[in-house]
Amino acid sequence: MNLAVGAREIVVERRPLPPLWVRAAAPTFSVFFGLVIGAVIIWAAGQDPVLAYTEMVKKGFLGRLPLIGTLVIATPLILTGLAALVAFRMKIWNIGAEGQLIMGAVASAGMGLWIGDGVGGPVGIVIMLAAGAAAGALWAALAALPRAYFNTDEVISTLMLNFVALNIMNYLIFSSISYWRDAERVTFPSGRGISEILFLPRLSGRLHIGLFIAVAAAAVLWWALRYTRWGFEVQVTGDSPRAARYAGMGVDRKILSVLMVSGALAGLAGGIEVGGVLHSLDPRALSLGVGFAGIVVAALARLSPFGVVPVAVFVASITNAGPGLQSIGVSSEVVLMLEGILFLCIVAGEWFLRNTIRVQPAAGSPAARPA
Amino acid sequence: MNESVILLSIVSAVGIGTPILLAGLGEMYTEHSGVMNLGIEGMMLGGGVVGFWVSTQHTSLPLALAVGAAVGALFALVHAFLAVTLRVNQIVSGLALVITGTGFAAFIGSLNDSALTYERPLSSFEPVFGEGMRDLPLVGPLVFGHDWVVYLSWVLVAASAFWLFRTRWGLSLRAVGEDPAAADTVGISVTATRYIYTMVGGAGAGLGGTYLIAGIFSNYQHGITAGLGWIAFALVIFAGWRPWRALAAAYIFGVLRNLGFSLQIIGVDIPADFLNALPFVLTIAALILISARSSAARKYSAPSALAVPYSRESR
Amino acid sequence: MPLDRAGAAGAAAQIDRSDGRLGGEAARLTSITKSFYGQAANEDVDFDLRWGEIHALLGENGAGKSTLCSVLAGLYHPDSGEIRLDGEQVELRSPHHALEQGVGMVYQHFRLVERFTVAENLALGHPDTKVLASRKELERQVAELGRRYGLEAAPEAGVWQLSVGEQQRVEILKLLHRGVRILILDEPTAVLTPQEARSLFATMRALADEGRAIIFVSHKLDEVMEVSDRVSVLRDGRMVGSMEIAEADPARLARMMVGRDLAVPDRPRIEAGAPVLSITGLTAAGDRGIEAVRNVDIEVRASQIVGVAGVAGNGQRELAEAIAGLRRIEHGQIFLGGVDITRASPRQRIRLGLGFVPEDRMRTGMAGGLPLPANLALKAYRRPPLSRGPLLSKRAMDDRARRLEHRFDIRGVRWGLPTSLLSGGNIQRAILARELSAGPKVLVAAAPTRGLDVAAIQAIRRLLLEEREAGTAILMISEDLEEIMELSDEIVVLYEGRIMGRLEPGQASPEVLGMLMAGRTVDPA
Repeated sequence: MNLAVGAREIVVERRPLPPLWVRAAAPTFSVFFGLVIGAVIIWAAGQDPVLAYTEMVKKGFLGRLPLIGTLVIATPLILTGLAALVAFRMKIWNIGAEGQLIMGAVASAGMGLWIGDGVGGPVGIVIMLAAGAAAGALWAALAALPRAYFNTDEVISTLMLNFVALNIMNYLIFSSISYWRDAERVTFPSGRGISEILFLPRLSGRLHIGLFIAVAAAAVLWWALRYTRWGFEVQVTGDSPRAARYAGMGVDRKILSVLMVSGALAGLAGGIEVGGVLHSLDPRALSLGVGFAGIVVAALARLSPFGVVPVAVFVASITNAGPGLQSIGVSSEVVLMLEGILFLCIVAGEWFLRNTIRVQPAAGSPAARPA
Repeated sequence: MNESVILLSIVSAVGIGTPILLAGLGEMYTEHSGVMNLGIEGMMLGGGVVGFWVSTQHTSLPLALAVGAAVGALFALVHAFLAVTLRVNQIVSGLALVITGTGFAAFIGSLNDSALTYERPLSSFEPVFGEGMRDLPLVGPLVFGHDWVVYLSWVLVAASAFWLFRTRWGLSLRAVGEDPAAADTVGISVTATRYIYTMVGGAGAGLGGTYLIAGIFSNYQHGITAGLGWIAFALVIFAGWRPWRALAAAYIFGVLRNLGFSLQIIGVDIPADFLNALPFVLTIAALILISARSSAARKYSAPSALAVPYSRESR
Repeated sequence: MPLDRAGAAGAAAQIDRSDGRLGGEAARLTSITKSFYGQAANEDVDFDLRWGEIHALLGENGAGKSTLCSVLAGLYHPDSGEIRLDGEQVELRSPHHALEQGVGMVYQHFRLVERFTVAENLALGHPDTKVLASRKELERQVAELGRRYGLEAAPEAGVWQLSVGEQQRVEILKLLHRGVRILILDEPTAVLTPQEARSLFATMRALADEGRAIIFVSHKLDEVMEVSDRVSVLRDGRMVGSMEIAEADPARLARMMVGRDLAVPDRPRIEAGAPVLSITGLTAAGDRGIEAVRNVDIEVRASQIVGVAGVAGNGQRELAEAIAGLRRIEHGQIFLGGVDITRASPRQRIRLGLGFVPEDRMRTGMAGGLPLPANLALKAYRRPPLSRGPLLSKRAMDDRARRLEHRFDIRGVRWGLPTSLLSGGNIQRAILARELSAGPKVLVAAAPTRGLDVAAIQAIRRLLLEEREAGTAILMISEDLEEIMELSDEIVVLYEGRIMGRLEPGQASPEVLGMLMAGRTVDPA
């Protein structure tokens, strides 16, 4: 891309390897830039941006309760980030984590209710969470199979399945007296609670072991991508499907397996929400939007499993700060907008990693010709 | 009795179908230029909340709609810059736009509740035709019973069908979305085309959002679009990128949204949730049909260069 | 849309034979230099074109023909040099700008919108297309235009429904509709059947007779001799010479194209062993569904190199892919060490001892974004010590990579960084390291030294010769005649998917090979 300005032209070139300082500076500058844009909007709305930002740091990080709140919100986000990551590594666009999470929550709650008090402790919890992961994987397979057999665009099919899942969940709680619904509460429909022995153990306050599971999932995924034949094949197929075929790898089966792993991670996030936070199938409290946010988290983490953890915590801290802002007269909703602006800025900032800009005498101008 | 309930549900389907149609028409232009903008829900909310605010201040619906469309277009401009100039992944950019627009609307909506309610209903939402015509059997409520935005949307459908498939400009637009290199060689600016029509898409979403909030609900609540932006995205696919089909599909989707309620009245119990999920299921089915590639379906598949960035050097 | 003006008529009037400018200078390119990533594709090239002539541009692959044409068509901006059209110096900013100056190019990949009709493609972006152009009206005009130039194509037909030859006609018609006076055809016959090529030649002649100037890019001597008035030969990015076709003869042109007298080097004589790879009656389709490999028989014995010569696009890639299992085989059979592998999967073939160096190194031969150890393990990762069960041993992969790096002298490796950062020569060494370390029975090497520097070329050739001594059966596909003659124990020449001739290296001369490659039969005199 060349842009001529007088006798000079601005040349934009792709670069394969950004220097280390650019890799650090680009996102830092983007975050700063995003905060400035946010500040302008907050200011224009007649509120105090400096106060809002200071308060956000306080309410998001500083102290035990803010930190616990942030980590609880980060837990499902880490998992949906990983779900997006594993698919994106193979250039498969699973944007159905939302629906896979919901189906995971439905299955986990169902399994939890079915177990009741029958299987106590760790075993019961494992079975419950496994049901969530399995449901997420199967829900993803609904999009993966048409992709493998008819080459149906998985972007749209996974997206559409989100809303199908959402309506299934709503039906189970709001529109029917289903197995999931607490039949005694008629005026205010809600889900039936699972047995207390299936609650995920708490670490401190509301913080439950789901966080460990999510971080462990990041570690396992990192390990699986690096140290297993499956991970090796995913990497090769993602980098060049032709090279994968050349090396005798079955590309279709890989698409299927990767989408199902992706769905399982999102489903696990749903299961953990049920077991750790909601303790029932609760459409109102199930953190919606986490599936979509996970996609951006994965992109911001540059598809690195361990990168997903801090990015998710950062995003969660902004979300968590929201309600606290009310007390200082700043609308709590500001945080959602700020997240979006930061996402847009950081994604745009990634451009500087892949490109360099320099100014040179224009080609064809006298300066460029040999004398 | 039964007929009138069904008729009523169709008429109200026109109401809810109109914002879907306006946003979907906009996205159709965007996608015909080869850009995919997943951010409709965010643009509807962002444009809608500002448009609504304008309508409460000035009680002028045309002004509100214009401002809503302009704000939607501004949101889309961000997407165009990221997707066309920076060549960012369009899925990521579009989703980030959903989050931004939703958050922006929530923020504006939370600022001052009293500014976002009407002291009196807007007169401009009165039906266009007189009572005599509205009371005609069948055609009365179906054809003559609407406010002027509905008629505007019909005009836009006809104009879009004409613009896209009968004019020189539509030809250029579709060429950019099909084969940008071919368009580039004959002197059509791929970048300009994609910027313009991405913003047209944003304007459609802003228009739809404003009509939804100001015209149908007359108040703003967090998440008021309730997924209508996503239905608009599905609409484009389900309609095979054709305006007249989009009109029909928008009302089918609208009927599905209201039918559960109406059916319950007449004693048929199909849960509304199933009907709400149906647009998405239908779209997946249509998509699989298209990709299974029967020769007729070829006509109704996505523009070939959809979501693919273009640069002249990398051929 | 007044066709009588917009079509060629206006332009043709200016270049009417009678105004005495026929034979006058249409375009002159002076000392054009164009480099990509520091490598010169055109170096100090001079070229001139006259009204009313068909000027052939001849050269091997990579000689710089397409680059030169793209400079004239405005797609590439030259690093230095001057372009004159009709005597006037111009700067061509874009293909469209060139088009406005009357220069149009038919690319190898047509610039047609497949989903549009013929008429829509012609109307697209045309300055005279009315805003509200009715379909009927457009179609009528296009039909008329087609009749005028003898390029009939159904205006209401969708481009996707047309054959390649018809699409090409539409592309030419599109350019004429824009008043193009200088028409560049980049390898136009590569995709055509002989009959279609005949009809294209007739069209070209008619257009030249109207006074237009036509550049015809080709590597086929017969065609050049048949259709052109003048010929210019490019080699290694430089202009070797231009002459009237009357002064040219195929043997001379072949020598100019290849550029060197080829000496047969000393190679240790080895008695070839038993047949290891036998291919009989192999037929396979190309990407467009037309047969690209037709009824080919080849046998390669242990300790033997069979060289497949030919100009690119004559079925070599498809042949290699069919052997490797990456392309469906329509007819015929392939045996590897006596086992029928005609229907075997790529993985089974690898296990049976087939090594393959593909011509597309960066995307097929390598996953360029991954580091070297991964790429070196691309085929061996399924077995110990690189993996045990589902688990991969990173350390074994790294150890192996270091060993191979040393043994095959792969230079410039930066650990942990993408393989694509290596130079072409080192990437090729890495691919050979991977394929040869697997101890193959058969090695298929496609364009093994294309684009490499001299040192790397020597190294790769030495590796191939050593492998031959070690008893491997090697099928080497190459466009480089020197390489073919230096390494092969037997040469087959491929032309339009068929075997045009079989030679011993002793019988081969650049002239004979050049003529066979250009589709001329040679008496075995």
